[in-house]
Amino acid sequence: MNKQQEYVLRSVEERDIRFIRLWFTDVLGILKSVAIAPAELENAFTEGIGFDGSAVEGLTRVYEADMLAKPDPTTFQILPWRGAEHGVARMFCDISTPDGEPALSDSRQVLKRNLDRASELGFTFYTHPEIEFYLLEKPEPGVPPKPVDRAGYFDNVPRGTAHNFRREAITMLESMGISVEFSHHEAGPGQNEIDLRYADALTMADNIMTFRTVIKEVALQQGVFASFMPKPLADGPGSGMHTHMSLFEGDRNAFYEAGTDHQLSQVARQFMAGLLKYAPEISAITNQYVNSYKRLWGGAEAPSYVCWGSNNRSALVRIPIHKPGKGQSTRVEYRALDSAANPYLAFSVLLSAGLKGIEDGLELPEGAEDDVWELSAAERKAMGYQALPTSLSQAVEVMERSELVAETLGERVFDFVLRNKRAEWKAYRAQVTPYELEQYLPVL
Amino acid sequence: MSSREVSFATRLRRAGVSDAARAESLIAQISDITGVQLEDPAHTVSYLADPDTGLLQLLRIAEAARDSGHLDALRALADTAAGGRLGVLLGASVALGDFLVLHPEFLADFSAWPEGESFAIVDQRRALLEAVGADPDADIPVATVEGDEGVRALRVAYRRQLMRVAAEDLYADQPAPLFPAVGAALADLAGAALEAGLAVARAGEPQHALTRLAIIGMGKCGGRELNYVSDVDVIFAAEPAEGADEDKALRVAIRLANAASRACDRAGAEPALWQVDANLRPEGKDGVLVRNVASHRAYYERWAETWEFQALLKARPIAGDREVGAAYVEAMGPMVWKAVEREGFVESAQAMRRRVEEHVPAHESDRQIKLGPGGLRDVEFTIQLLQLVHGRHDPSLRARSTLDALAALRRGGYVGRPDAAKMDRSYRQLRVWEHRLQLRRLSRTHLMPAAEDDRRVLARASGFATVEYMDEVWHDIRRDVRAMHLEMFYRPILPVVASLSADEARLDDAAARDRLAAIGFDDPQAALRHITALTEGVSRRASIQRQLLPAMIGWLADGADPDAGLLAFRRLSEQLENSQWYLKLLRDSRTAAERLARLLSTSVYVTDALLSSAENVTWLGDNAQLEPRSPERLAREADAILKRSDDADQCITALRGLRRRELARVAAADVLGLIDSVQAAASVTATADMLIAGALRIATAVVARDEGFDTLPISVIVVAMGRYGGSEMSYSSDADVQFVFDGEHEQASALAVKVARELQRLLQAPNPQPPLEIDADLRPEGRNGPLARSLASCTAYYERWSDPWEAQALLRARPCAGDEELLAAFTTMIDAVRYPPELPPSALKQMRTLKARMESERLPRGVDPRRHLKLGPGGLSDVEWTVQLLQLQHAHDVDGLRTTRTREALHAATRAGLLSRTDAADLDDAWVLATDLRGALALRGRERSPDVLPGDAREVRILAGIMNVDDTGAELIERHGRTTRHARAVTERVFYGWDTTT
Repeated sequence: MNKQQEYVLRSVEERDIRFIRLWFTDVLGILKSVAIAPAELENAFTEGIGFDGSAVEGLTRVYEADMLAKPDPTTFQILPWRGAEHGVARMFCDISTPDGEPALSDSRQVLKRNLDRASELGFTFYTHPEIEFYLLEKPEPGVPPKPVDRAGYFDNVPRGTAHNFRREAITMLESMGISVEFSHHEAGPGQNEIDLRYADALTMADNIMTFRTVIKEVALQQGVFASFMPKPLADGPGSGMHTHMSLFEGDRNAFYEAGTDHQLSQVARQFMAGLLKYAPEISAITNQYVNSYKRLWGGAEAPSYVCWGSNNRSALVRIPIHKPGKGQSTRVEYRALDSAANPYLAFSVLLSAGLKGIEDGLELPEGAEDDVWELSAAERKAMGYQALPTSLSQAVEVMERSELVAETLGERVFDFVLRNKRAEWKAYRAQVTPYELEQYLPVL
Repeated sequence: MSSREVSFATRLRRAGVSDAARAESLIAQISDITGVQLEDPAHTVSYLADPDTGLLQLLRIAEAARDSGHLDALRALADTAAGGRLGVLLGASVALGDFLVLHPEFLADFSAWPEGESFAIVDQRRALLEAVGADPDADIPVATVEGDEGVRALRVAYRRQLMRVAAEDLYADQPAPLFPAVGAALADLAGAALEAGLAVARAGEPQHALTRLAIIGMGKCGGRELNYVSDVDVIFAAEPAEGADEDKALRVAIRLANAASRACDRAGAEPALWQVDANLRPEGKDGVLVRNVASHRAYYERWAETWEFQALLKARPIAGDREVGAAYVEAMGPMVWKAVEREGFVESAQAMRRRVEEHVPAHESDRQIKLGPGGLRDVEFTIQLLQLVHGRHDPSLRARSTLDALAALRRGGYVGRPDAAKMDRSYRQLRVWEHRLQLRRLSRTHLMPAAEDDRRVLARASGFATVEYMDEVWHDIRRDVRAMHLEMFYRPILPVVASLSADEARLDDAAARDRLAAIGFDDPQAALRHITALTEGVSRRASIQRQLLPAMIGWLADGADPDAGLLAFRRLSEQLENSQWYLKLLRDSRTAAERLARLLSTSVYVTDALLSSAENVTWLGDNAQLEPRSPERLAREADAILKRSDDADQCITALRGLRRRELARVAAADVLGLIDSVQAAASVTATADMLIAGALRIATAVVARDEGFDTLPISVIVVAMGRYGGSEMSYSSDADVQFVFDGEHEQASALAVKVARELQRLLQAPNPQPPLEIDADLRPEGRNGPLARSLASCTAYYERWSDPWEAQALLRARPCAGDEELLAAFTTMIDAVRYPPELPPSALKQMRTLKARMESERLPRGVDPRRHLKLGPGGLSDVEWTVQLLQLQHAHDVDGLRTTRTREALHAATRAGLLSRTDAADLDDAWVLATDLRGALALRGRERSPDVLPGDAREVRILAGIMNVDDTGAELIERHGRTTRHARAVTERVFYGWDTTT
């Protein structure tokens, strides 16, 4: 037991917290919450709070399993939108079995396990996501979503909803200890981007879960609706979550090496090679919904082909150019990830793919200079640019045979994800869409 | 050269000098400088542990004394007891010799120490405080010798005092009795050094008066049993001075604590003393360095782990503010003993116990005095464990030092007098060695030296004439310490009987229950009842049990279920109450006793088997007896039974008993890891073969007699099918068979059916011995077909009617009992069916469809298919169907495939290139793991279904134990998931032919 827990108990008392929400995440990345009273908190720390663990299995819950949620005191935060008096706070939880073993089905533990693996190799894994989302008017069933404005990339909308919105959201995020690097209006109408300042992957995954909640709360307060759906508008750009990644060895950025091509160390090149090699098989994790593939294959800079480049906006893996002398900020950006991914699992597979590249000493293929979208299919084939899966169904099929993903997620989570994704595809396939009705009904 | 000179060299060598010529020259040079001739230099030198080095050091000291004007002090020591102290010190400690070379002014000390006065009366605190110019009588001593100069003065004064302790320690005839005084003096000296360090720190901290800092000694320092050189474990506690701001005072206290530590352990012109280690503080390295008493208490009340309380056992204020120190100890003291009631105590007690009993080999464990088997750590753990277990009810045990605690345990009757005395002696001797080793270079070492020279020095320094003798004693001590742990921990659990001598330990019920609970018995009350029942009375039996039980209790506690194991042991022992051999075996064979404990506390199946045939316990002492009997030997034994008697009931009872006995043997060997699960399955099958062959003989005779024949006019054979045919039976499997007959008689068919019925009755009818269920559903036409078929009818059936699945079923058909000729004829006939030249596409399709249907229909409801070892994805059935498909397709051409055994066929298919090596390995791994798990489940005997992997990781951990693998439960579950996933992928590709490449 430790100071952190003591601090939490004290804070709860001093700040007159009436409820503590214990947060955890199911395999799909959906936030789950159990509220407890302060009196139960000490018990939660020592014993954990019992619940039906099948709640983490996503939509295809099958087997009941007693599990314990143990709050992680380092994640204690007061929820600002619940007001100052009689406040509500939250902590993320680790899920364990009744005898204290980490639950095999808990995404957060999956990431922890993989970070441990990295740390055995001497690495700390940092990420920095650029999260895109849409601000829409309150959705009505059967009506296509309507963005709150008609602005574009970096447009400054005078007194626009989005402007206010971002100010409010950023204030709230900062008050919860989540630093924002950057925010601007994105290319689509009503689309916004907020970049979080880099942090270790576990903190960042927690932050992303919080971020989604905060954004949704602020939107509600302002009478609009926020969505992280990867492709809400057929003719607007999708919402990605480009993620910058770096490995540190102690204080040193292991990706940086002065005087090399792009200032990239051997480690960085192998890490990238790993990302490229395993990109198709991790797709069902990085782009987990039926809808994800509509973004991935919807053009507008979405990375559909496996290649890398520096400053190439069509590449899957990109090397952002940094200012000279800022070697510590050397990083690689993975551009397929979308805003609806389960960040714990997504970071796990990305890290794992990269580390595999390092362990196997993979060779980085040549970089791509061209906009791969402009090339003909034959050209792409000739140049060896593989395509990412074109649908969830294809992605699941590829993942099913992936030793890397199975090992990274553990057999249990691997199985749950597959089960969920197969069910999702099946349900989707059963739909008759407005498109079909429009196209076929009149003529057939 | 005169003869006198030669003899001097020889005498020097006898005195232990290695380079006599050099020694002679050193002695001459020393005499030159001092102008003093020793009366008998060779004799004097013989007291030195390392005479060569000692003489060299003496010469260097003489030179230094000459140069600094202290020669008189050195001369005064010649041929005196004080000089003897200097000599042994130089011979045993290079480091302290070096100290004197730098500080010849302290030579005068040797004469100044009053004869007959122990170092123990020295006020170390006063001496060291005065050395830094602080007033020892002041409430808050502040140094007047400040900064680096103060640190230097402190360290010199420390070594000066250390020199006195060491000189007397080394000079003593018997170092062991002196050991507690030495350890205490060293701890006091360490406390004094920190006190002086604090005084120096205060001098450099203008605001020092704001805080009242206490330094608490932990570990060996707290226990006043410190080494010459070891980390000094401390905890800092501070309260603000009256009226001082709390935060400010705390910051000052942290600065003071750091500075006081650095005064002792920072590198400097005068070398550092030892590391000050404050990591035992709340939250360890991450915690704040200094806390107030209330905060310490709050931490321990709320958060501390069990081992942290263990550390508190030895807490003692050693320097700084006395009131705060006393308040700290007063606040913490009671908590140590409440801690024992906390959750997790049993686990950490068990960890300690295992640590002592199993012994994780430490690095260089054969040379470790501290961490090796039977080393110091073992003594300390054994004693601390007993203290923790009993100290909560008995305050008299709450002593800080190891030897005091041991004495208290003895006085309280928790440890027998002879054991305590032996432990005490061993501990002292180990510590003396440790001290001597450390003194040599004032280095923190616990390793017996490897070099012969160094060992010789150690032997001489610790009063052993030869290295060999020292090694022998060391060896004995290590063995004793290990053995004593068992004696001291388990023996006293046994209830006191009248005949015990007063020397033996005696625990009351509550204390015995405490010990049992501490090692993992869930119901110590019941356990104690069993132990009492076993050892009560003055009979020979009870007295042997008293010998046995201490070790048995330990072994049982290692098993999955100690409570059940002990109960079973009691029942078994009561059953065999009058069998002389039983207790004799267990007493004389440690192996047998340990195996019995493992079986009883692990496997319900074997326990039941042993309880129903207790005489089988005899096997446990003999590996040959635990080897499964060969089929030939079983056949001979069965034959003898059948020849002895004509009585059908008697014969079948004997045969069924024979099978039960062999099953018990196989199961025991399986649990003990002497055979693997595949061998076990083959042996289980062999017992069924024996029994069925015997039953067929009896049945034939019975039917012949009933029907009025001399010999039956037909012959009947039994064909093993399914897992039975494949020699892959598990302990509780039914036997799948079909009956075939041949012979010319109008009643042939009816007679054959009668034989089959009689055989079933013989094997299944209630009987004192367990049945073997016979299942004939795999026969042609299944349940609708006749129970026995003639060879001709079989032939016609298979040629004309059978579905491909029936050919598949025949792959595992193994004619196993009856007339040789008919067996051969049947085999030839089915070979044509089951190894067809070609498998028609329609048959392939039918097989695939059938299997797919089975997957969705046969699985029991509510079971996670992934955990189903037989029918789940990647389970036994996937592997077997894949292999059988390859057999149907290729056995016609590949001879190796003509086997009923899955693994043999799998390997043959690989050799023939029909399967890739990786595919074959995936299938093989899955098949073996599933077989292992099913075997373990059956042996465990707890689960409702022997085919479903339990979801509870703890239960799976027990299975891993039975399988003799090191996986944790979660690891085994993960491995099972991975293995079956791979096997399933192969099945989908090879059996189903699903194209999975994109």
